[in-house]
Amino acid sequence: MLLKVYNLTKSYFKGKLEIPALREVSFELSEGDFISIVGKSGSGKSTLLNLIGGLDTATSGHIYFRNKDLWDMSRTDLAQHRKYSVGMIFQSFNLIASRNAVENITLALTFGGVPRKDRKQIAIGLLSQVGLEHRIYHKPSELSGGEAQRVAIARAMANNPSLILADEPTGNLDSITSNEIIGLLQQLNKEHGITVIMVTHDQENAKRISKKVIRLHDGRIVKDME
Amino acid sequence: MNISDMLILAFANLFRTKLRTFLTVLGVVIGIGALSSMVSFGTGMEKNISDAFKKNDLFTSFTVTAKEIDLEQLSEGNIEDFGKILEKPTTPLTDSILKKIQGIPGVETAFPDILFPSKLKIDEYYETNTNVQAVPAKMGNYQPFNDLLAGEFFKDDSSNSVVIRWETLKRMNLFVQDEEKSVSLTREDSLRGAKIVHPDTLIGKSIQIISKSFKRSGRPVNPLTLVMSSAGDPFNETVTELTICGILKRSDPFTNIRFRGGIIIPTKTAGAIPKLGFSSIWELFDKKQKGTYNSFYIRVNKMENMNFVRKEIEEMEIHAYSVSDQLKEIKRGLIIIDSLLGAIGTVALIIAALGIINTMVMSILERTREIGIMKAIGGSEKEIKLIFFVEAGFIGVIGAIFGLILGWLVTRIANRIINAKLIPQDELPVDLFYFPLWLLLGATAFSILISLAAGLYPAIRAARIDPVKALRHD
Repeated sequence: MLLKVYNLTKSYFKGKLEIPALREVSFELSEGDFISIVGKSGSGKSTLLNLIGGLDTATSGHIYFRNKDLWDMSRTDLAQHRKYSVGMIFQSFNLIASRNAVENITLALTFGGVPRKDRKQIAIGLLSQVGLEHRIYHKPSELSGGEAQRVAIARAMANNPSLILADEPTGNLDSITSNEIIGLLQQLNKEHGITVIMVTHDQENAKRISKKVIRLHDGRIVKDME
Repeated sequence: MNISDMLILAFANLFRTKLRTFLTVLGVVIGIGALSSMVSFGTGMEKNISDAFKKNDLFTSFTVTAKEIDLEQLSEGNIEDFGKILEKPTTPLTDSILKKIQGIPGVETAFPDILFPSKLKIDEYYETNTNVQAVPAKMGNYQPFNDLLAGEFFKDDSSNSVVIRWETLKRMNLFVQDEEKSVSLTREDSLRGAKIVHPDTLIGKSIQIISKSFKRSGRPVNPLTLVMSSAGDPFNETVTELTICGILKRSDPFTNIRFRGGIIIPTKTAGAIPKLGFSSIWELFDKKQKGTYNSFYIRVNKMENMNFVRKEIEEMEIHAYSVSDQLKEIKRGLIIIDSLLGAIGTVALIIAALGIINTMVMSILERTREIGIMKAIGGSEKEIKLIFFVEAGFIGVIGAIFGLILGWLVTRIANRIINAKLIPQDELPVDLFYFPLWLLLGATAFSILISLAAGLYPAIRAARIDPVKALRHD
């Protein structure tokens, strides 16, 4: 078992007003799974992903990653979790604008403790894996949406994570490019055995490509679709 | 992430906002420039004074007098008490006392301070009035008497040779060429009949010392009778022909304490010249007995022996006076000046630190999303904190380097202006500023420290940024 989410609850506070984002969510997934999380905006999809990714901490409940409870982790441990265990992909790509494609990836490798002399070579290797060997010195502003998302995927792969968390990775892309990106994620899943959790609002696609779809509504899991 | 990664990252981040980084660094540059130039003035003063003491041999020499003359009281007009001091019985400085002093272990040489007024003449044409200072030949081994422009110091206490100061020759209208500072004649100098001479041409030249002595034997009972006397000139004139054997170097404004006369002659030669027993009207008031001296000059062989020798002499009821006593007080005064100047510079640096805080906080606001991304890809709080901390330190280092260069340039310019405007032309130029190693290192360390302190708050703030919010940030 790679990941076990148990009774996960997350609330935000606006002043004294409690706004629940996730309510007692539980599910499990095994190594090599490809699952989708669907739901309307505000249903808690991104919150769930951020919690699994260790960017945020739960109000209550547990997330076990390889049997280790994120609840027990210090902030430094959570940084380690983000560094080595998971790779995150976002709808808005979240590349650093001042750094070119290869530099965006070497930054992740730097945090990952890869020696300086190896970084560039590894980064170029990752970029050619996502089909961007001709774009390595381009700044994010010089890349198309699909290309930027490929750089983001390459960056997420930098420190060999076992889990990729993709938060609406195709949300800003046209359908053809979307299919390419999803194809790339599927390829990573099949060829490298990387587990993928993808948040999307495209239910049809989700059903087509995923082993499992989790539907969220008002912070609760509504129905599991195998 | 190691420190070299941090440095590269910090440099890249700072380089991205060139103008802002430049202005922030400029603030530090000005702060360090102000601080270092001001402190260098203080240290320069201290160094000049210390050097002057060394050049004048003051760390190993002192003067003893029969009476403790409280110049402070005198200058305040306290004549009554001063009179009492004069009445007080003291050990007179006689030849036998001198012998005793010479016998104290550690005393290199001791001799009576003999100074008398005379007129000097070279070639019947060049002349001036000056005091003649009698010094034993042995003193030619020590500062400042060993600092000769040409020739050598006399070797024998009864030789007919003299050593003359550069300044005295100038007053005689003989401008001696000097490699250290070029000598030139103004129109007025030429009109006065001054000429430039090579130092070697004066060595071996004969010089007349025209001294005066009282016509009557002994000295007037009341000095006023000397001044008020209507009996005409009460003096005899004696001409003594001697040979110039050396010319003393020009002294800079800090180093002419030891020269009391314009010309230095051997002690025994001086003894044979009929002369007045005083060099100033003050000494006429001194109820000096015949066969006694006003003061002795004492040189010890080592600085460490100063205290011992002085104690021995003070036990003979003789007052020992060393200028180096004042050095401690001067140094204390200089520390106050130093701290004051340093404080002004520190204020400039603190303002620069506020600039750093401002820049860093601005930069964090701009880079909020970037910080969120760094956290999302695995950057820990510690690493984020260090990145910003190193950026602040970088500003400090660059600021220190260029600040010290600026401070140095400012002091060079200031020194030039001071030398050109304030130091009289016949004086050697002085260096009023001094950058010792401790100042260079201290200023750099201080700059980095202040910059790091300024970077502390922004760095902590950057590290605490919530990545979820930061990633939503535009």
